[in-house]
Order: sequence, then structure tokens, then C-alpha cells
Amino acid sequence: MEKCLIKKDALAGIAKKMAGDMLVWAPVKKEDNVLFEPIRKDDEPFFAYLNSKNAPKNVFFPHTETLMKFTRTPKGMAFSSEANTADQSVLFGVRPCDAHSFALLDKLFDQEKYQDAYYITKRQNTTVISMACVKPPYATCFCTSVDGEPVSSEGADILLTDIGSDYLTEFITAKGEKLTKYFGDVKADTAAETKKNEIAEKAKVAIKSKIPAHEIKPILDVNFDNPFWNTIHGKCLACGTCTYLCPTCHCFDISDEVKGADGIRLRSWDSCMFPLFTKETSGHNPRPSQKERWRQRAMHKFKYYVDNFNAIACVGCGRCVMSCPVNIDIRKVVEDISKL
Amino acid sequence: MQNPYIPYPVVVDKIITEVDTKDIKTFRFKFVNPEDEQKYAYIPGQFGELSIYGKGESPIGIASSPTQKGYVEFTVQKAGVVTSALHEMEEGTLMGLRGPLGNSWPLEFLEGKNIVIVGGGFAFTTLRSLINYMIFGDNRKRFGNITVIYGARNPGLLLYKDELIEWQKREDLNINVTVDKGDATWKGREGFVPTVCKEVAPSKENAVAVICGPPVMIRFTLPVFFDLGFSKENIITSLEMRMKCGIGKCGRCNVGSKYVCKDGPVFSLAELDKLTPEY
Repeated sequence: MEKCLIKKDALAGIAKKMAGDMLVWAPVKKEDNVLFEPIRKDDEPFFAYLNSKNAPKNVFFPHTETLMKFTRTPKGMAFSSEANTADQSVLFGVRPCDAHSFALLDKLFDQEKYQDAYYITKRQNTTVISMACVKPPYATCFCTSVDGEPVSSEGADILLTDIGSDYLTEFITAKGEKLTKYFGDVKADTAAETKKNEIAEKAKVAIKSKIPAHEIKPILDVNFDNPFWNTIHGKCLACGTCTYLCPTCHCFDISDEVKGADGIRLRSWDSCMFPLFTKETSGHNPRPSQKERWRQRAMHKFKYYVDNFNAIACVGCGRCVMSCPVNIDIRKVVEDISKL
Repeated sequence: MQNPYIPYPVVVDKIITEVDTKDIKTFRFKFVNPEDEQKYAYIPGQFGELSIYGKGESPIGIASSPTQKGYVEFTVQKAGVVTSALHEMEEGTLMGLRGPLGNSWPLEFLEGKNIVIVGGGFAFTTLRSLINYMIFGDNRKRFGNITVIYGARNPGLLLYKDELIEWQKREDLNINVTVDKGDATWKGREGFVPTVCKEVAPSKENAVAVICGPPVMIRFTLPVFFDLGFSKENIITSLEMRMKCGIGKCGRCNVGSKYVCKDGPVFSLAELDKLTPEY
């Protein structure tokens, strides 16, 4: 694996230089929020961020995307073209928890049977550059409880670690190595690596929020009908913020839109928190109240995904904890389940 | 990479109004590109997504049998946006078809066994596919006795009336058609499906029951089969849930860890017992 050093103040310049050659998604400051957006070569990325307001999953799985186009013919609406293109692009400076989420989403969208062409094309054409968390961004971070680490290359093609005056730049995958030319030719010495390892250990210890995520699977296996499920949802507004901000939530809706003679079929994010999500034409709803919907959310993350893919579908980013308008805390939910 | 979201172009070749109330029709589709028929090789019990551009998609069980070449049929009740649009369609209209999706009736498991088919009302469609498959040519030899118990609320609501008459003529089929209440012209059996099952009393020996119908029929029919000694492994049914993608990604049709669209829709009662009762 190739490794090099870059000066810390050179980082924004590298991102901007790349933006002249390809599509670059980078953190930008918008009002009080940091969001991942495409930048032009004269835009200023904002790397002094803790974590972005939204998970960057929209790069591979956009909030709304066109699946195909159709058009009116004398014999009715007919398919006209598939809408699956993705430019060569770079996702610059994501946190390791979010990069971890890509590895989890791959399990679902890139299965042997039924490959999701739209997700896979974007994923293949995008190089992920992670920025290690050398100090825990928020008190709500709990990545170390869900198979993550603040300095981790999982899901990343390139990992940047702040080791003082420089970023240690590690080219993890062949896809990452294709971008070495942007990072200069100052080779990293062993001292830099030792420093990184020290920082990684410290960063891990600095994540204070811990949840028993790995202990609750056998408990969930046998507690589908536990009265405990009546205790979470009382104040839930069914707003769906938790699922929209979640890096691993991937449920979607498919709908058609027509204007004049042309139409498109869209896929948009959906949420298990919404009553209509499972409501059938007959009026029957297998998840009739917020109780069942919350149970689904907890079960999907900590049991169903484990059953199907042997991985917990939570990366410990804490976004749902921070942004829930009624302060429902998934960490407490997991804690409470562990005591059932 | 085959894109599973893109439908095959099909043309509505024939529309058959099945019932007196006119809200259940069978749609026969032909593939616009003949080579797509090969790609759409299906097994009884699977379903497809009927795709009407501008309206959306609707997951519907395949009503024809793979032994019927040159077309594929779906029997659809007019209910929501997509199925209502479908019911307005005329022969010759272009639309889309995705699939085949889901698992299927477990043909290998059924082979060499006596088969009891129990259907109620409009849920008879994929059972019809299975029956037509089992009685086609040499296929018939691969199965033991075939007993069919099929009921509807009244004679006008029975599906596939011509086929029922043809099947009743065959000596290698035991067909029991019943209606909850007959009318002046009805000469057949009257009575609810569970009662008829009790009267017909199929033997559990080397037998599998394949049951599909409205929840109320299932609820009262299952105890009859338990009393007859059928094990949960030998009672097979098919579930319905709201679906979108049909390929286990969009996240709404799961029952526990299983997706009805991808891991189902067909489950044995023994398999269902292991899942959460959320359907």
C-alpha cells in the first residue's frame, strides 16, 4: 500500500484541483450546516467540520433519482430509455462511520442475485476518501460499539489521518491509487505511521458513548411480543428524520411522473416510520401503529440485517440521536433491550 | 449487468372478464420482443410486477402455467391506481412486465406426492397455474392424486369457469367446486370451503396441502387440515404484502428477516411459525 504525507493546508487545494478534472463531492458550509455537495474548482470546501448534517449516502443512493424514462406512443405509454449514468467522481473527506455505511449498503445493493444497477454504477465510479476522526466529533458518537473505529479505512479507497502538521495519506485500494498524482510525492516514513497508530488508539479510547449493540441480537430473537415495544414510540412524531439522516437506512419508494408526452419513473427515499409505508390497497396495514414501526426500525438494524448479512445496520454516527425532535435515543433503546 | 428495474415491453393481447361484477379480469400479455419470453421463464407460484408507465407498478401472481407457450396471464382485481388503469386498457395497448419474481410453489417437494389444492375466491390464480402445470402432458405422472377444493361467494364470482368444466371431465382430477350461496341455475355444491374440506377429507398419507385464499378462509381451513393429521411442513401457502421493488431492497414487505417478495411469497406453515406474525 502506498503512503504519502501532505501538508495540512494543502488539502483544500487538492480537492479543488480534482474538481477541475472530475466531479468532487466535498463538505461545504451552508448556513449552520455542513453538507456534502458537488464543488467547482473555485469553491471552498470546509474540512474543519465535525460531521456533516446529512449522511453522504445520497452520492450513491440519491434522495430522488430517475430510474427510466418513458414516452407516449399511439399504443400507450412505452419505455424509452434507462437512466443509469454516473460520472467519474470523488467523495472527498467523509468520516469513517459514513464510509463504513457504504460497506454495509453494498451488502444489500450488490447482492449476487438482483444487483441494483443504479447504486453499483455510482459506487464503481466513485473514489471514497475518508478523513479519520482524530478526536471524537460529538458526545453522541458510538462507532466503537458497532464495529467501527474513529481511524478506520473500512469502505474507503484513501484514508487521511491528521498526524499534526501533515495528513498521512494511505492509498487503500487500487481505485485510490489511481489518484496518487494529486497528493504529491513526499513518502511517509515509519515515524508517521507510528504516530498514526498512537493517534488511532487515543481516538478509540476517546469515544466514551458505549452501547451493548452486539449483545441484543439473541434478545431480539425472542422478544418480538415483549411489552417493552409499547414504551418507545409514545412521543414519536413519525417525522422520519432518523431514517433520512441515517447512513444505512435505504428504504425507498418507486413512483411515476408524467408531463405532456414524457414521463419518468423515480425512486425516492421512503421511511418505515410512515404509516403509508406498508399500508395495502385493501386498507390492511401489517404495521398499524408507530409501535410496530419502531419495532421494525430497531429489529431491522440489530436483528434482521444481522440475520441476512451478518452485520449490524448502524454505524454509530449519532445523527438520529442529535436530530430527533423528541429526543428518542437509539442508544437508550439498545440499552433497554439489553436488560429485557 | 441485467437491470432488474427495467420491465420487458408487453402488449395486452386478450382481456377476459372473469366475474359477473366485472371487477376481475384476466389479462393475457405477449412479449413485444419474442426472445424476452425465454428470459421470463417462470415457475407456478411466482409473481410479476405489472408496469403501467405513468401510473406505477403492481405485484400480481402469475395465473398462466409455463406450459402455456406464447403468452403470460395475470388475473387482476380492480382495486388501486395501477389495477384500475389496467382495467381501463384495451387489447393492443403497450405496457411493461417485470419478473418473474419470488420463489414458487415447491415443485420438487410436491413431486411424487398426493396434492390437495384449496383455493378461495380471487386467490385461486397461482393455484390455477399450478394445476395447469401438473396436469399438462407427462407432468401428470410426476404427481399422485390431485384433489382441488375451490370456493367462491356465489357462482358469478368463480374464476376460470370454462377450465373448471374441462377439469371436471378428467378422471385423473378430483375437482370440488363450491359456492357459499348458489342461485337459480347453480346445480353444484353449496357450502363454505372449510366445511367442504371436512367432507372431502383428503388423506394425509404422502400428501401436501397447498392453500391460498382470504384470511377468514385460511383461519377456518387450517384446523380442518390439522384434524386430518397434516403436519405444518406439509401445508403450503402464499403471502401478500405491499411491495415496490420486488427484489428485496426497498424494505417494506419483510416479515421478520424474510422478504415476501424475494424469500417468499410461498412459505410452509412450519416456515411461517419461525417468522414474526407481522403480515
